[in-house]
Amino acid sequence: MKITPEATLRRQEITRRIIYALVALAVITPFIHALPFKFKPMTLSKNLYDKVESLKPGTPVLLALDYDPSSMAELQPMSIAILRHCFRRNLRVIVMTHWNTGVGLCKDVCEKMAAEAGKESGKDYVFLGFKPGYQNLVLNMGENLLGAFDKDFYQKPTEGMPVLEGVRSLKDIPLVINIAAGASIDGLWIPYGRDRFGFDLGAGCTAVMAPDLYPYLQSKQLIGLLGGLRGAADYETLIGKPEAATKGMQAQSLTHVLLIVLLIGANLVYIGRRYFGPKEA
Amino acid sequence: MPPIEQPASSKTRAIEILVVVVCLAAFLLTCLLVQWPEGQSKVSARGIGVILAAGLTLIMYSFLYRDNPLFKAAENLYVGATLGYTLITTYRLSLKPDIIDPLFIDPPTLGVFAGEFARRFVPIVLGFFLLTRLSRKYAWLSRYSYTLMVGWGAGIGIPIVVHTFILQQIQPAIRPLLDAETFRALTPFSWVTLGSPALWSIIGTLVILVGTVCVLFYFFFSMEHKGAGGAVSRVGIWFLMISFGASFGYTVMARVSLLIGRVQFLIEEWLGIAGR
Repeated sequence: MKITPEATLRRQEITRRIIYALVALAVITPFIHALPFKFKPMTLSKNLYDKVESLKPGTPVLLALDYDPSSMAELQPMSIAILRHCFRRNLRVIVMTHWNTGVGLCKDVCEKMAAEAGKESGKDYVFLGFKPGYQNLVLNMGENLLGAFDKDFYQKPTEGMPVLEGVRSLKDIPLVINIAAGASIDGLWIPYGRDRFGFDLGAGCTAVMAPDLYPYLQSKQLIGLLGGLRGAADYETLIGKPEAATKGMQAQSLTHVLLIVLLIGANLVYIGRRYFGPKEA
Repeated sequence: MPPIEQPASSKTRAIEILVVVVCLAAFLLTCLLVQWPEGQSKVSARGIGVILAAGLTLIMYSFLYRDNPLFKAAENLYVGATLGYTLITTYRLSLKPDIIDPLFIDPPTLGVFAGEFARRFVPIVLGFFLLTRLSRKYAWLSRYSYTLMVGWGAGIGIPIVVHTFILQQIQPAIRPLLDAETFRALTPFSWVTLGSPALWSIIGTLVILVGTVCVLFYFFFSMEHKGAGGAVSRVGIWFLMISFGASFGYTVMARVSLLIGRVQFLIEEWLGIAGR
């Protein structure tokens, strides 16, 4: 029996739709019914957690949240978990962003987490908002933080704010955490920030970016890394507050199992067809 | 091979239209039941936002079945909304606080205006020059701005790039295989149980050494990759393939995460099923 190209195309289209349906099912099922997938936080995530944990209460920490709604699914749970941890440790939190399209998200997450922890803007944390400039801004912050941000997002003068007491520049901040969707970790904060001003840098990124950042862990230019939804789920587990990312990881795990099965199955079918099946017309 | 759209028969088209109508009715009914709770006279602003977001999400995923006019409309809306939002935020967060407010809103006197204007004159002019790219006659003015940007970028960037991406990266790649600290941590049992971090540190350093040399050799084209050279080159290919595999795995994870984010929104916020 000979198979026509039209029949092959039709079969491929049907197969494609079956795969989409299976993936949809794999993603939806864990939200309806809990699955027994367990995971242990990775060392990279634990390193960042340990660093935050080691800081004394009152230590200033800078959080640069450089993402926008397109990567919210992976990065917003990280921001929530890290802010929750910092507030729980009574650290002085300074939040900013290099993405003007991400300001709304950062403001929301800051206010929500501060309200949950009973923290006050200007005293326990400050949301500096967005400033253009990228490298220039980081270099400027390294020289004079209050000059770079003379007002916070709510137009209150930063000079004299209790949260910024003793913080004149990036040199006075022992830990910076950059949660980023673009190139700001290795294109901005490592070369223009960490390597120039000497603070410890932790990072959270989308899963696509994670493999490119591994060399910076080896060279200790990064002290820890949260990679994608898994990184966010790790941090939620470490602070003992499993939420969106942990739930999402159930769906992630089931989808991975499905994809592995499909990959093996498709290869077996391919091999079978190649050696034992009918020849195409 | 990319899927080729087959022209649908009239019967298939009728079934598809029926499915779309049923889906639309189900969507509207769900919105009415979930987002318009009993006893309320109208849907809240947030509820309308959730309904819109849910509808657009479902329309976007309709592309998985086939390209369709609703998807096209939603796609264009997405591009337009993103551009509009970027323009507005750029104005509100950059132009307004840095140019409009200090020059025209805040300064109460002419002296203050003159001072602010003098401070901001050069950046404003250089920024304006960039816009002259739109005119053939005056495009040459933009070269002044680009000259400054390129000159500054090279001056600041080159030493930083050499330090961060070359010197700092070479350091861990050429560390000693067995330094004093690792040697002290090793015990005869390390080799038997394979449980010692010091032993794994040595193995890790060896892997990095072999990987770096073999991959670099693969990109060395001044000699033919035959014999021993060919073997080294093949090992380099294996390292590259493993690296691409890791990147691909992470990419799959990222794309599935985006789907999970939308499904989580649909289930928890639109349908109101508050998780497990």
